[in-house]
Amino acid sequence: MYPLSFSIAHALPETILAVGALLLILVGAIRGEKSAPLVAELAIGLLTLALVVIFIGAKTTATVFDGAFIDDQFARYMKALVLIGSIVTLILSRDFLRRENIDQFEFPVLVMLSTLGMLMLTSANSLISLYLGLELMSLALYVVASFHRDNLKASEAGLKYFVLGALSSGMLLYGASLIYGYAGSVSFPGIAAALKSGPAIGVVFGLVFLLAGLAFKMSTVPFHMWTPDVYEGAPTPVTAFFASAPKMAAVAITLRTVMVAFPNITHEWRQIVMFISVASMALGSFAAIGQTNIKRLMAYSSIGHMGFALVGLAAANAAGVEGVAIYLAIYLVTTLGVFAAIVAMRVQGRSVENISDLAGLSRTDGWMAFFMAMLMFSLAGIPPMAGFFAKYYAFLAAVQAGLTPLAVIGVLLSTVAAFYYLRIVKVMYFDEAAPAFDRAPFAVRAVCAVATALVFCFWVYPAPIVEAATNAARAFF
Amino acid sequence: MTAAVAFFYLFSMIMLASAFMVIAARNPVHSVLFLILAFVNAAGLFMLAGAEFLGMILIVVYVGAVAVLFLFVVMMLDVDFAEMKRGFLQVLPIGAIIGGIVAIELILVVGSWTVAPAGSAPVGSPITPGVTNTVALGRVLYTQYIYLFQAAGLVLLTAMVGAIVLTLRHKVVKRQVIAEQNARTQASVVEIKKVPFRAGV
Amino acid sequence: MAVSLTHYLVVAAILFTIGVAGIILNRKSIIVILMSVELILLSVNINLVAFSGSRADLTGQVFALFILTVAAAEAAIGLAILVTYYRNRGSIAVEDINAMKG
Repeated sequence: MYPLSFSIAHALPETILAVGALLLILVGAIRGEKSAPLVAELAIGLLTLALVVIFIGAKTTATVFDGAFIDDQFARYMKALVLIGSIVTLILSRDFLRRENIDQFEFPVLVMLSTLGMLMLTSANSLISLYLGLELMSLALYVVASFHRDNLKASEAGLKYFVLGALSSGMLLYGASLIYGYAGSVSFPGIAAALKSGPAIGVVFGLVFLLAGLAFKMSTVPFHMWTPDVYEGAPTPVTAFFASAPKMAAVAITLRTVMVAFPNITHEWRQIVMFISVASMALGSFAAIGQTNIKRLMAYSSIGHMGFALVGLAAANAAGVEGVAIYLAIYLVTTLGVFAAIVAMRVQGRSVENISDLAGLSRTDGWMAFFMAMLMFSLAGIPPMAGFFAKYYAFLAAVQAGLTPLAVIGVLLSTVAAFYYLRIVKVMYFDEAAPAFDRAPFAVRAVCAVATALVFCFWVYPAPIVEAATNAARAFF
Repeated sequence: MTAAVAFFYLFSMIMLASAFMVIAARNPVHSVLFLILAFVNAAGLFMLAGAEFLGMILIVVYVGAVAVLFLFVVMMLDVDFAEMKRGFLQVLPIGAIIGGIVAIELILVVGSWTVAPAGSAPVGSPITPGVTNTVALGRVLYTQYIYLFQAAGLVLLTAMVGAIVLTLRHKVVKRQVIAEQNARTQASVVEIKKVPFRAGV
Repeated sequence: MAVSLTHYLVVAAILFTIGVAGIILNRKSIIVILMSVELILLSVNINLVAFSGSRADLTGQVFALFILTVAAAEAAIGLAILVTYYRNRGSIAVEDINAMKG
């Protein structure tokens, strides 16, 4: 047992967000309707503070709160990614929500609470804290998905997400209850200890249910069906949020669960992860080809990218974890950049989201077209953009683990996926010009530019990310 | 056959039957009522299994709050029930087959229950004899599980904020101001107009 | 003959199946889907309480207590989203959820 101060010191980012969210609710309630911009700025400040705390805080590993919460290098790495996703979401959302007339102070508060759930999820070290973190994240996400409450598409998106999300958490819980019953413990190390003598059928069965629930949160096949509709229906900054921060947290907890709780039955879960990975890569590559709506296209793209990231997880070795960590960082930056460009798609004050609206962007807004093209090259995995190295690390780990066929399938499918990314570049550079977009706010253009610069510069100076990912992977080996 | 076994079968049979009726009933109001019945019987099962506190909470929270919330929404939405009297029976045969298979598989798995090797997993918070269930839960909930307790509080906070932001509408409500009513005089509210003959107002 | 753990687990398994079937087969109203979710969570709770009793470990009951809490929150959010949807669409039939396709 540690003193409470020690526990809180290790959960300082979470404490900041929890206390901050309560204070922001008070600020919003006292200052009324006009407080939205202030609350949004304060929320960005608090999230940044949490990020700073992670960077300058303790670098030691500790398990606190009676084994429910673990603070290690991997958790800190993933938390930094989650926080970056949330901060950028809030930056992108401010102008957008005001124009759509839905800038209520609850939005930043809900994003903060959801982010808090993700941080707790990333640090979860038992089935109960996994479940509570997951639900805190998801409940806030259901609400922000339908935040545009007078819009049919948004409320339908929220409803679909909720119904399927509730089903998936039900399955996850059923799996968790079986694992608890057969392994006799809810803590991940406890489960691993109980499985020393080999797999018990009840635990394997529970693991299947658990992975199904987690696959839903990662939006991977076969639990992906909500993704395109929710991405299309939700307000664009919310879609950016869905595509970034929650995925980081979901992959992080999946990785932690299988690595810490089930290292003794790697053979069993590896088959499931490989199936999910291949199916997601295939669906992400083929289903996106016929899309006309760019948000739907990004939905399929995100499904595919989760599949690529899971190639590293299937490897189940240190290089694999490192590959997943690098992949997620690069995916996060690229996706946020692309969504900044999508948020900027406005013609005469009206938001547009068809791919044909991007036609001839190179002539109407050369810089934006350039940013978008570079980001698309990165998503497609064309060297020397960062996306190439992301796939390289993930596939390399798979080859090292003797999963060469998986890596080959991945490479082939990534060439298929490259087709639709390049089609967007072609539309922007060679098609007849569509009506020009309104000039986007500085913050949105800045996010786009910074993301492009980062994916462009990764090959010149990859050391910070690679080093951090190597350290993160050391948490498990 | 002991009383415990008899009660187990009573509670579980009624619970499963009413659970089936929840999804099969044509009228959502009936579904909610069957849901309440299922919860009450589940509470009985909890007590048989030694979880008295949870059994009571199930009645207080579920029957008292959640099920009533459902009932409230069903009534509020004012759905045309005549529209809904179709559909379920057409897919019932296939559903019954698939459901049966899933249930049998689950039962086979739980039938193979073996405790993990003895002593390998230390018991998280052992039940001490002589301490009532509520006291035992209270002892661990605010100490060992304080982090999870706080997290659950945040989940409830999120639900509250979310439900309010989605459904609350600030309507312009007409309020009665008695001072204004008393201040009305004939001069301020009655206007006398001369109406010319056959010309309209 | 006494009530064994397996008895509880079988009841919970059947209840879980009924809940999942209710979600998948439902063609009527979304509100019944929300009730099916409650049934699934109830089956999980029966599992946990039964395991807790058989292992003499309170952790299962604590887990069940948190599930009860979260399920109540989930029901509140779900019904709020449902009300929002009903205001926009004027219906809660499952086959009417079709604003987006593809």
